[in-house]
Amino acid sequence: MHDFAALEAQGVIAAFVASTEFVLASDVQARALGYREVPSVFVPHPIQDRTDAEMRALAEQACARIIQAVTGVPATQLTRLDS
Amino acid sequence: MDLTGGPRGRTVLDPTDERAAAHRVPRPRPVSLDGLRVGLLDISKPRGDVFLDRLAELLAERGVRVRRYAKPTFTKPAPVDLRREIVAECDVVIEALAD
Amino acid sequence: MPRDGLVAVVKRDCPTCRLVEPVLRQLPGLVVYSQDDPAFPADVADVRDDTGLEVSLALDIQTVPTLLRFTGGEVAERTEGWLRPAWEELAGVAVLGPELPEHRPGCGSRTGDPEFADELLVRTQGDRLGSRRIEISALEDELEALFDRGWSDGLPVVPPTPARVLRMLAGTSRAAHEVVGVVPPNLVEVTVEKVAVNAVLAGCRPEYLPVVLAAVQAACTEEFNAHGLLATTWSAGPAIVVNGPVVRAIGMNSGGNALGQGNRANLTIGRALQLVIRNVGGGRPGEVDRAALGNPGKLGFCFAEDEQGSPWEPLSVSRGIEPGASAVTVFAAEGPRGLADQISRTPESLARSLAAGLRGVAHPKLPMAFDATLVVSPEHARVFAAAGWSRSRLERALGEALLLDAAELERGAGGIEEGIRARAAGGPVPKFRPGGLLIVHAGGGAGMFSAVIGGWVGGPGGSQPVTREVAPWT
Repeated sequence: MHDFAALEAQGVIAAFVASTEFVLASDVQARALGYREVPSVFVPHPIQDRTDAEMRALAEQACARIIQAVTGVPATQLTRLDS
Repeated sequence: MDLTGGPRGRTVLDPTDERAAAHRVPRPRPVSLDGLRVGLLDISKPRGDVFLDRLAELLAERGVRVRRYAKPTFTKPAPVDLRREIVAECDVVIEALAD
Repeated sequence: MPRDGLVAVVKRDCPTCRLVEPVLRQLPGLVVYSQDDPAFPADVADVRDDTGLEVSLALDIQTVPTLLRFTGGEVAERTEGWLRPAWEELAGVAVLGPELPEHRPGCGSRTGDPEFADELLVRTQGDRLGSRRIEISALEDELEALFDRGWSDGLPVVPPTPARVLRMLAGTSRAAHEVVGVVPPNLVEVTVEKVAVNAVLAGCRPEYLPVVLAAVQAACTEEFNAHGLLATTWSAGPAIVVNGPVVRAIGMNSGGNALGQGNRANLTIGRALQLVIRNVGGGRPGEVDRAALGNPGKLGFCFAEDEQGSPWEPLSVSRGIEPGASAVTVFAAEGPRGLADQISRTPESLARSLAAGLRGVAHPKLPMAFDATLVVSPEHARVFAAAGWSRSRLERALGEALLLDAAELERGAGGIEEGIRARAAGGPVPKFRPGGLLIVHAGGGAGMFSAVIGGWVGGPGGSQPVTREVAPWT
């Protein structure tokens, strides 16, 4: 979250990806830095013991939401891009 | 009401017309990634690189070429030099994968 | 608080309070409020914690120990410090502390501590404030946070804590919720309080606030047209000249380097006006402010006229303000352009010389384009003073010297495509519209240089200088 704040402060549009374990912590950290919410994408926990194939699948499932987090494009348009 | 800000934070009065939100807001998003320089920042937790490799492929399929960066450790914020590099080389950055 | 009975307010960190500890034990039914340690005094039945200083504030305790007698819920009598006869009389006890000296002065109450002053101010007056509170989280750097929220003009701003804003508001007798004007471009009503918040941001002292308020009031008029001035692609922004007793009272600079850096009042007053336009009005570069180049004075441009050394009446008086009153004149201004004339000894020559410098405002071939302000320095003013030239005499001479030959101004003349259309009827063209040139006296005593400050489009549709009185600081 510090990285997010620092990069945005210097002009870079940022978003971050985390596992669902992180939902609460990232909210707390965001508020601690003065934000109410931060563009983020959560992927299902666990991460550490996933196979390569599973990690790639997570990326495929998250890609549309990640693009949305860094652009203003709404989800409905993105599903068309995905297919 | 504690107007002195207390030990945890500080209170200041809003100097604006108060139409905007009282909290920090993320930068306005661009309408598309066309023409923008995109970076992927690996926070260096295990398995994150596989995720980002696949993400890079998917973005390339959409015509978005990315630059790759990695933090030396996930336990601290990105070092100043790395941030500087990213700021100089990217318009957009996606940081992954915290768990 | 007992309805009837004795109350003492003490603190452990006071030798006199410690001295009278045995006496406190002797007093029947005594209630003690301790400002710093509820374990002091020992062996007294009813000792209450007033480390929050609420009771001390309510009872207006200045000194500890203070002994009070309540009757029917009111304070009937009080005594400060230790004085045996006073204590015996107040407590209605024949003999108190026989082993103690007859008297001993007390110590300052904690409510007077400098560290407590801010908190005290906010507690007692905080409800005057209507502005939204913004929390800066502990993880944010206090100064970076203000940049991050977009409140800065590019330089650090002073965090506008409630205590600082309350102290700033003490600089005016006007009520915090009074509306000062409507600020462009977003046409937002600005209150005295909001001006005060931005004055804190700018680094003003409370005694500058009346000047800032007058400047905001002047800038928000239709005549001044701050919106037009902000939105133009031209470089100019608002500038302020201050007249009257307030100049000396707040230590403004009208002398050496008056248009430059170094004087807190000059710089922060100008800055406060711009911050109000930015933060309250929403006028920011890259948005409504479309200036192609801008100028350094857009950070803030404010100075005082040197009335003492001036051969003329104050600018404010020439514009209708009572002599002896303080006033501001707000006008459109780009950066100053120096004019060096180290030879002219006659007023005629110097006037023509200054006119030559004024001719270049906007463009040498463009008449009736912009207004301007001429800052005449003391060494130049001396020439006019010696000849007995009034301000209006100088204005006339400048006007004559600035009657331009239309042929020289025409498009194509001099090989320059810019200029005025060829006219059917010839005749000289005045450079400035009537009332489009202000003359101010300021600057250091050495240097035969004056300054031309180009303005913007004058008259309706453009911006006109506006003068407003400064409400006296009570």
